[in-house]
Amino acid sequence: MAKDSKNAKKSPMTIDDYYIKKTNPVIKVIIYIALAFWLLVNLFPLYWMFTFSLKSNEEIYGKNVAGLPHEWHWEFYEAAMNRVDMIKLFANSIIVAVLTIAITIIVSLMATYALTRLKWKGRTLVNSFFMLGLTIPLHAALVPLYKAIKVVGIFDSMWALIIPYSAFSLAMGILISTGFMGEIPMDLDEAARIDGCGVWGTFIRIIVPLMTPALATIGIYTFLQCWNEFLFASTYTSSFKTIPVGIQQFFGQHTTDWGVVGAALCIATFPTLLIYIFLSRRIQESFMAGAIKG
Amino acid sequence: MKKIVALVLAAVMVCGLCACGETTPASTSTSTSSAETTVSASTETSTEPAPEPAAEQISLKMWCIATESDSNYPSYVKAIEEVTAAHPEINFEWEATENEAYKTKIKAAAAANELPDIFFTWGGAFLGDFVKADRVYCLDDAYKAFAADLPESMLDNTTYGGKHYGVPLTMNVVGLFANMDMLAEVGYTEVPKTYDELIDCCDKLVAAGKIPFGCSGKETWCVTEYIEPLLEKTIGAEELAKIFAKESTWDNPDITKAIGYFQEWIAKGYFDPSGISLGNDEVKNNFLQGKYAFYQNGTWNCADVAAADFKSAVAEFPVIDSSKAKLGQLIGGPSDTLAVAASSPNAEVAANFTFELGRALCHYCYLDGSGLPAWKVDYDTPDINPLTQAVADICNQANGYVLFGDTAMDADTAQIYLDYVSQIYGSKIDGPGFVAGLTDDIG
Amino acid sequence: MKGIYRMNKNVKNGINIFLFLLPGLALFIGVLIAPIFMSFRYSLHDMSLLDPLSKENFIGLKNYVKLFTSGSIPFPKALLNSLLLAALSVFIQLPLSLGLALLLGKGMKGERGFLSVFFMPVLISTIIIGQLWLKIYNPDYGLLTRALWALHILPEGKLIQWLGDEKIALASAFVPILWQYVGYHMLLMYAGVKGVSVDLREAAMLDGATDGQINRYIVIPSIKPIIKVSVIFAVTGSLKSYDLIKVLTDGGPFHATEVPTTVMINQLILRNKAGMGSTIAVMLIVLCFFFAMVINRAFRRED
Repeated sequence: MAKDSKNAKKSPMTIDDYYIKKTNPVIKVIIYIALAFWLLVNLFPLYWMFTFSLKSNEEIYGKNVAGLPHEWHWEFYEAAMNRVDMIKLFANSIIVAVLTIAITIIVSLMATYALTRLKWKGRTLVNSFFMLGLTIPLHAALVPLYKAIKVVGIFDSMWALIIPYSAFSLAMGILISTGFMGEIPMDLDEAARIDGCGVWGTFIRIIVPLMTPALATIGIYTFLQCWNEFLFASTYTSSFKTIPVGIQQFFGQHTTDWGVVGAALCIATFPTLLIYIFLSRRIQESFMAGAIKG
Repeated sequence: MKKIVALVLAAVMVCGLCACGETTPASTSTSTSSAETTVSASTETSTEPAPEPAAEQISLKMWCIATESDSNYPSYVKAIEEVTAAHPEINFEWEATENEAYKTKIKAAAAANELPDIFFTWGGAFLGDFVKADRVYCLDDAYKAFAADLPESMLDNTTYGGKHYGVPLTMNVVGLFANMDMLAEVGYTEVPKTYDELIDCCDKLVAAGKIPFGCSGKETWCVTEYIEPLLEKTIGAEELAKIFAKESTWDNPDITKAIGYFQEWIAKGYFDPSGISLGNDEVKNNFLQGKYAFYQNGTWNCADVAAADFKSAVAEFPVIDSSKAKLGQLIGGPSDTLAVAASSPNAEVAANFTFELGRALCHYCYLDGSGLPAWKVDYDTPDINPLTQAVADICNQANGYVLFGDTAMDADTAQIYLDYVSQIYGSKIDGPGFVAGLTDDIG
Repeated sequence: MKGIYRMNKNVKNGINIFLFLLPGLALFIGVLIAPIFMSFRYSLHDMSLLDPLSKENFIGLKNYVKLFTSGSIPFPKALLNSLLLAALSVFIQLPLSLGLALLLGKGMKGERGFLSVFFMPVLISTIIIGQLWLKIYNPDYGLLTRALWALHILPEGKLIQWLGDEKIALASAFVPILWQYVGYHMLLMYAGVKGVSVDLREAAMLDGATDGQINRYIVIPSIKPIIKVSVIFAVTGSLKSYDLIKVLTDGGPFHATEVPTTVMINQLILRNKAGMGSTIAVMLIVLCFFFAMVINRAFRRED
């Protein structure tokens, strides 16, 4: 990780120099136009969603589809906030995400430690067993898991989401941890053993502290998996609502006021995006670390 | 740091174990989670803190589809407030889930035999499947006390093997909503009364560059709102009801004839070609914005249509073959229903409560114009919108109801039926193909 | 003595290994494997969602046969559709991601800004993305139709049923799915591109290699492992896709846009057919796993 970012910082300078000399300005313009086009395609949804949330039904349904609203209906935001407890939705989603991430991290670090640093027969087999999790579709477990959740008695609590989400994120977590852990020299383990650390001691004192860069990476992949999940969230809980389920509340059987729906969509989306923008560099680096190590 | 890690590890172990399901440590997590999150949500009777000197507190939980955006939501709030105020001994909680997600949820719950005490359901086969699997509490005993307010005829769609299993809320029929301003442009001052007039009116609309009908093709039930009245007014209510109940066959030349009319409508451009890719809410909004002359759909739309900017009216679909069908034969009936789970520990109390709640819901939903009352009305109804009043008049003249096809049929059959209906709307098959297909697949 | 000591140590080691794996295995088996095993058992029965498992409704593998032979279950079509989506994903989405990654990865002004924005759709809920594209595709006032009118590609007044016309609905439904995850794969690949040794690039450049040559002979080979992961994700993701299709077309018109998961939910929830629904679930798992293996093999052989 450290090595990569050093490269990234030091060398593009020289590379840029080459490119500035070499790249044909016409090509450069074309490249920028293409990128700008793609930028537009990606930003437009946000613009559209924002204007949508301020328009009356008439404007939404045809009179003014893409333009700025003629009248700015800020009151839709108030209506949306009054209708559903957005703060609660966010709090629920955040606590689910945080605990899912925490569990995924701890469980996958432990499993990875056993799978990569302890020598035993059949570990590759167990490893590929875990990797099955990468390909299993969430939907396949819907009904049987419902029964299990009821039996265990966690229906409608946050655990009804946290536990399935952690399980479905586990494979990815192990995959990423394996990459990171592979970079920690085995000598360290041996040194710790000689110092009298047991397996657990080595894990907690040596490995876990060195794995801190991996935490953010696992966290991001897990976050992406659970933040917008809808199927489980709407089936396994009823009073404990996360953001996607809360948003779906706005689509009633006979919904009429689309501006309020738009406002709700905005309230649900923009805070996440704002945080992303502030932390985008860190988030991207962590995400990318996963790509390299995983 | 070490301590924290150790603590978290311990916590994770517990969580990990409880994911195991059937193993014993599961009970640990049950107690932790319920202590943390669901103090009031537990369905058990709480024994420890009983602040009221009154009878034992009973908790009841209800699931329904009246989300905050649903037009029925305010009625639910008012009705629940009223009924819970009368029952301080009941600790009532309710949760609403959006329509589509609700179906997934309620079926998963029924499959696990974990239905909430009270749940919203649709009459006909939807509830019937649950009843067949012994998931629903029989309401015969509780009904006795309410029989005077709730006519037995309203329970037809929730009666199985002679026993009552549901409390109907509102009843709705298919109505032909019309934009009278548009009809006036082609010389009609009232909704056409005969089929020939209707066709003439539509032809004139098409000639004037207007679109007569709006119908969503993405949500196939909307197409049935057009096809079923057409079928009923061609073959008669009795025969259609038999076909839906599988007591009679689809193989009936009159059905081919009726479907032929429907295809004529398509061929003559009566339908908005865009309808095929639109959802119902988009189509309905198009109608409310004045894009279509007619919108044939459930009468739960009365309040919204009445509030539109144009002069509106609602009527019954005209008779086509008067030797078999007559006016007063309608599609619809009480379908929105509350039921009580057989697994509820307080089913008896819940049954009584459900009837009271159903009566209150019926009251407020009717006043809000989102349906006709399934219960007897003993209150003033001065502010009800004119369309709902018109529908009430139509229903007063009614002499036969056939429940919506997809509600009347069992789940699998309904999907097969909807499949063929969507193919007809998309002109993928013709009348004979429709009849032959349904005859082969259903009977 | 020594031997006993060693054995004890082995046992202790074994216990430790087991304890380290326990949370992971418990979670994984309890939440994924056990329900899937249950799904497999259901798939051997002709049962409704509300029936219990019983000997009477045991039918062996008949559900699997029916899945492919019965004309009334659009599974073969759904499978073809999702394979087409997978192919489009691999041959259109990933090259686009790779192109963007290569462009941005070699360093240019505004690189970070572009990256951040391109990644954004990944964070937006699919429900919201679905609603947005519904509006873009609306035949009457949708932006797409209006834009084509304005550019005179389409004669003004002509309407196109983007999601309602069988011939184009599939393509229309796939575009948003492909679009949403371009940024995801781009960032994965960008990470790889940035990881390519700068010395290597410089050396190649001094030897007079063009951009294209550098990308072809240096960058792409070195990010092959990442491309492999992307391909696996893209293919299994295509097989599993559900949310956007559900919002945009719900499998219609006339099953033209059906994918395995929509057929599965239709069987399982709308038709109460737990047996058949579970059969599709099991097929999906098998297929996902099969393709992941095949892709793994294919990349290994190339090395």
